[in-house]
Amino acid sequence: MRKLSICAALFSLALCGVLNAEEAMSMNAADKAMYAEMLENNPAAMDIAEGEELFNSLIGQEAYAKVLGVSVKDLPETIAGFPRMLMATPKYDFTFPKTMRKVVTLSQSLQMALADRDKKVLKLESKEMVKMTAYVKSLANDLKTNIDVKANKQMEEMVVLGKHIFEERRGGRGLSCNSCHSADIVGTRLRMQELPDLGAPATASASTWHAYRMTQSAMVSFDKRMQQCMKNALLAELPLGSKEMVALEVYVTNMGKGNTIQIPGLKR
Amino acid sequence: MERRSFLKGFGAVSACVALVPTIASAADDAKKVTGPNEMSVESALAAITGGKPVTPSSKVSLSAPEIAENGAVVPVKVTVESPMSANDYVKAIHVFGSKNNNSRCANVYLTPANGEASFATRIKLGATQDVLAVVEMSNGTFLSAKQNVKVTIGGCG
Amino acid sequence: MKTLVKIKPKDYNIGDIVKIDFMAMHPMESGMRKDKDTGAIVPAHYINEVNFFFNDKMLTKMVTWESLSVNPVLSISMKVSAAGTLKVLAKDNKGESVETSAAITPKG
Repeated sequence: MRKLSICAALFSLALCGVLNAEEAMSMNAADKAMYAEMLENNPAAMDIAEGEELFNSLIGQEAYAKVLGVSVKDLPETIAGFPRMLMATPKYDFTFPKTMRKVVTLSQSLQMALADRDKKVLKLESKEMVKMTAYVKSLANDLKTNIDVKANKQMEEMVVLGKHIFEERRGGRGLSCNSCHSADIVGTRLRMQELPDLGAPATASASTWHAYRMTQSAMVSFDKRMQQCMKNALLAELPLGSKEMVALEVYVTNMGKGNTIQIPGLKR
Repeated sequence: MERRSFLKGFGAVSACVALVPTIASAADDAKKVTGPNEMSVESALAAITGGKPVTPSSKVSLSAPEIAENGAVVPVKVTVESPMSANDYVKAIHVFGSKNNNSRCANVYLTPANGEASFATRIKLGATQDVLAVVEMSNGTFLSAKQNVKVTIGGCG
Repeated sequence: MKTLVKIKPKDYNIGDIVKIDFMAMHPMESGMRKDKDTGAIVPAHYINEVNFFFNDKMLTKMVTWESLSVNPVLSISMKVSAAGTLKVLAKDNKGESVETSAAITPKG
């Protein structure tokens, strides 16, 4: 009896194999268009609206522009160039004996602005910070990512470190970011899903995060997404805000330099 | 020594065999989990139409992806050809996920003031299945359209 | 429950058909999902009624179920007959209700 059911199972497995081979592997152009249309009604729009309220009540454009050392008018263009080097005061980073140059992400620059205004510095992983950063990044919508990795010595160092981290194989499976996102395997599949070219305009990774992740039904930041990718690939997660994580963001943002900023994105 | 390793191997095999019925019963249990609003598409349809015939029609257009990489968010759009006038309009659009525990997704009751009979939303699909749209016209007839959506699990996290 | 109503396109005249998009932040719990930590079934919690009114007159009535996605979006059309207020009343199965409004301002 058991033998019979095993045979039946094997036969149905084989049958499935035949059927699957004839099926399309993933979404066709019309399917993709349907999902693209969903961008118009992105649930993350509600998070952005909340982020706007938070930003205006806690910081405001004028105070933020002051921290960045630019005029309010130049804010969008400046925001489009993050991560960038800023002057971090001991108020923001107590490990600093004096004001020092530091390459920071957009959320870290908001932390600096909060510290500057003697407000409670929100944690990078806090919901408030994620919403507020998404709103601020959306001020640069329709502009092109204009990160400048040659702007200064600090940025030059960070892009080198970022490349190293992107290519370093670690964790239980000895994988690196590059294992799945190198130019030569982009477009091949991982569990039905096409592996994306992080720098291509079609993916525009850095310029379309923060995004609403359908698998999580929530808006997720770019660095958090990279952490989730590390977790699934069995790599130790780099802490948000660490020099290594910022460097990785510098490197990946630079891969997609010139892509149009569209916040919030909508991802699988 | 040899006997020992043989026993070990045998132990492993019998462990595997013993596992088979466990898996099977776990699967049966999983099937028993039902939601508070469990209803098959047949029962849900009967409740709406009162047994009247439902005719597949090209007047009803249902768009949904052929392949959904994430069953938790599947876009569905229904439009119906209709003048939407006071005496000829679409009274209701019903959307079903034919194999969901509760097949009902939304019952949308329109009025001529809608100007156009259209409804779009995003639904959860537990598995590959047909999405069905049933439309009630103001003259009391029922039209329908359906589309199969394959739900895949893609990518890494 | 946070909600949002959008009217598209931005500019329209009397007689035009506009799209109305209603969004809500809602967990839409099916009542079948187990809590990862406790293993207990999370009770069903979903939006079960969404009604659209234009100038207090019923435009569209919806009965919705737990099979809608988390943070659902519902879109319908409306023929603009006059200036006025579009009101959306959403309720969930735990009795929470939210009213959201949008102004309808045709150009001509």
